[in-house]
Amino acid sequence: MITVENLVKAFPLKDGGEFNAVDGISFDAKAGEIVCLLGVNGAGKTTAMRILSTVFRPTRGTATIGGWDILKNPEKVRENLGFLSGDTGLYNRLRPHEFIRYFGRLYSMKDSNITRRMDEMAELLDMQDFMDKKIEFLSTGMKQKVSIVRSIIHDPEVMIFDEPTAGLDILTARNIISFIRKCKDEGKCVLFSTHIMREAERLADRIVLIHRGKLLASGTLDDMRSETGESDLDDIFVYYVNKYSDETEVLDHEF
Amino acid sequence: MSSKKVFIVFRKEWLEVLRDKRTIFTTFLLPLILYPLLIIGFNAVMSRQTGVLEERGASVAIADSVLNPVSARIVASLQEIENFDFHPANDVVDYLYENKDIQGVVTIRDSLDADGLRLYHVSVKYDAANEQGQMVLDKVSWKLREVQKEIAEEHISARGINPKIMNIIEVHSIDTADSQKKMGMILGMFLPYIMIIMLLTGASIVAADLVAGEKERKTLETLLVAGIDRREIVIGKYLTIISLSMLNLIVNLFSMSISVKFMLGQTGMDMAGVGIPFKAILLLLATMLPLATFFAALLLSISTFSRNMKEARSYEQPIMMVSMIMAMISFLPAIELNGMLALIPVVNISLIFKAVMVNDYQISHLLITIGSTLVLDAIAIWASIKLFNSESVLFRSEDDSGGIKSIKKDRKNIFTPYNGIIYFSLALLALYYLGSRWQMQDMVSGLVKTQIILIALPVLVFVALLKQDKDKVLRLKMPRLKEIALVPFIAISASVIVTILAQLINHIFPFPEQYLENLSQLFDMDLSLWGSLAVVALAPGVCEELLFRGLMPRFFEKFGFMSNILISAFLFAAFHLDPFRFIPVFLLGMLLAYLTLRSGSVFNSMLSHTINNSLAILLVTFANNGFLKRVMVSDDSLHYWVVIPALVVLPLSLYLFHKVTADKNEEYELISQDL
Repeated sequence: MITVENLVKAFPLKDGGEFNAVDGISFDAKAGEIVCLLGVNGAGKTTAMRILSTVFRPTRGTATIGGWDILKNPEKVRENLGFLSGDTGLYNRLRPHEFIRYFGRLYSMKDSNITRRMDEMAELLDMQDFMDKKIEFLSTGMKQKVSIVRSIIHDPEVMIFDEPTAGLDILTARNIISFIRKCKDEGKCVLFSTHIMREAERLADRIVLIHRGKLLASGTLDDMRSETGESDLDDIFVYYVNKYSDETEVLDHEF
Repeated sequence: MSSKKVFIVFRKEWLEVLRDKRTIFTTFLLPLILYPLLIIGFNAVMSRQTGVLEERGASVAIADSVLNPVSARIVASLQEIENFDFHPANDVVDYLYENKDIQGVVTIRDSLDADGLRLYHVSVKYDAANEQGQMVLDKVSWKLREVQKEIAEEHISARGINPKIMNIIEVHSIDTADSQKKMGMILGMFLPYIMIIMLLTGASIVAADLVAGEKERKTLETLLVAGIDRREIVIGKYLTIISLSMLNLIVNLFSMSISVKFMLGQTGMDMAGVGIPFKAILLLLATMLPLATFFAALLLSISTFSRNMKEARSYEQPIMMVSMIMAMISFLPAIELNGMLALIPVVNISLIFKAVMVNDYQISHLLITIGSTLVLDAIAIWASIKLFNSESVLFRSEDDSGGIKSIKKDRKNIFTPYNGIIYFSLALLALYYLGSRWQMQDMVSGLVKTQIILIALPVLVFVALLKQDKDKVLRLKMPRLKEIALVPFIAISASVIVTILAQLINHIFPFPEQYLENLSQLFDMDLSLWGSLAVVALAPGVCEELLFRGLMPRFFEKFGFMSNILISAFLFAAFHLDPFRFIPVFLLGMLLAYLTLRSGSVFNSMLSHTINNSLAILLVTFANNGFLKRVMVSDDSLHYWVVIPALVVLPLSLYLFHKVTADKNEEYELISQDL
């Protein structure tokens, strides 16, 4: 469902040089699978996800979503993709049903289909009470539910979650987590990013570890455990980062 | 692109607009309330103030130094003025006047003319900046004219002549303008200004919110990953701005016209013929529509470029100010639209509007105005889409470079586009305030001083202060012989082409005579030929090149070779403060920038610039001599056919120049990288 091959994203620096935020990473994710992109802040997770969701164009390399090439068929990619991040904003002056309908229409859905799916989801997520209130008056948890429905209204095969629980309280975060599990159960391909080891441990079928734009390791947690001899994901992560740092010249220490 | 999705965006944006109380208030409610209140209030205050002023009258001191029956008669008649107090002037009259206890001082003196006739000189001291003072002058002069007429008539009758001789010529003015046209003229003065401002404010109400606002509220990314093409988003938002600004305009006009009609009706003015015919209204809205689209595209670009709404609003300010100043042209008397002015945005709309109001316009001007505005509109909307597709612009708010800042130390770089604009603005201000003054005092020394003190010296000081290798920064590197040998061919052929182009432009859009006169001053200086060449050719050739091909391109390096050429040429053309020569100077600037940036040597463009300016002087000086006589039509114009050899020589010599500098192209190194 997702294939990523040698993806590179270079950003120009102010002094004329370049900086690779994503530096030649490759991985894949299949239907019914949750893959976690794990890395510290600034590792290149968001940039990679923005490339996959066609917001950024890659400098080199390529990727496909649901079989569609992100460069050749960006519109097909967007149609087959649901995207959600922790700090997604909403249009405060709209009501949830208007907001969701807006995006459904942008996905060229029929109004009757939108209504049917929206009603289903609203019941499932217990949203009926506030579908008619203006978004600006909703709580963070309610807003997050609206965002969830927005991201899945067009029933995409692939879901991308960029730091989905960042900045959310524990109850709201749990809603998201269970939503991610539900996506998997429905056979969707899920890619999510986080810097929280526990979250990766609990959710992911496979983990893709990235650091400073580079892929350090990928595989199931068990694979990683046996390779590193560590049991805790924290330790596994540090192991790989240290291994990477030994291999490359450390420019300066920021600790 | 799907018009259906554009419409979905458009409809959603409007839904948000209609839910925003502030927008509703400023767009619809405010104009509906404001005009009636303003007009009623203004009206009440005005009529009250005029009455108050009349009633209050004035205290005036009279100093009669003649003291004969005639002067006494003058004094007596002045005293008839209602509500005026006249006091004999005393020692403290100046003090009283300064202290505003009295509002006027009337002094009567006399003299005898050669024929023995006694003349009376009445001086009225008043404060023109004060309404009461103005009233003193009006009433006193009116009364004095009456007395003068009486006295003259008495004298004439005493000699047995019919006093009507005084009014033997009676002037009747027959006004052919119907009230429609008169109204049109008055409205034509201020309506364009008001309408253009309304259009712009209407657009700015939503523009900042539409993209910069989405960035701020973090909704933009959601929209970008939705099933919609970015062009569709841009067009949807663009149409929202256009419709809102046009609607704002219509509501304002509607409210204003109703209020004015109401006010005029109250004051009992003749209402017949007041108002604009429906056809004219449609035509006016049709001329405003292209401007609305242009403003919409412009503000949308700004909104897309800005990180947040605050930044967007601050970028909107200069646009507002420039547009306001340009729109004010309708206030100037005797400026009429011509082909050239029809190309200048805002100005053209302002003037065509004025012309439509008095029903006196040319279709060609109307078409040029609308056409040129639409071209600008297309450019601006293209820029919007371009910006919307630019990752660095769209995500400027965030630091996607991750930890990079700590890895590479953020070195201070003085050569940024922002600093370039600041430097250019300061140079322009110096030119405007000092240079033009110096040149007014004395053309020759003014020109030399401008070039050396205002243009060259600051460049050298600037580079010296940076502690940079000035030869490297300013590209003061000796060119190779084969380069410099080609420059004269390039310079001469390019000069010919640009001169012909300027002639062509002049032919289509004639320059004003005043302008040509000013220009010819440059060639009429009291100087020998060598002197002229030094002042008008060599000095700018060296000094302006130091600034525009030496220093300026360093600021804009990050945009790349071609953009740098365009930007420095644009600044060069703008620096000449001459709209009529903008295009020729811009083209020359491009050529000169190419010569320097391509070869890495500013001396190439210095030579080219000097040759170009020298040619202009030589053409004028030797217009009637030998060879030049054959290529010139008149004292200062070339035959059009001369362009043909130039069109052969220029591409050829440029091609050779390009070839011999091929190895040097690598040297278009970015100095900012080395800092």
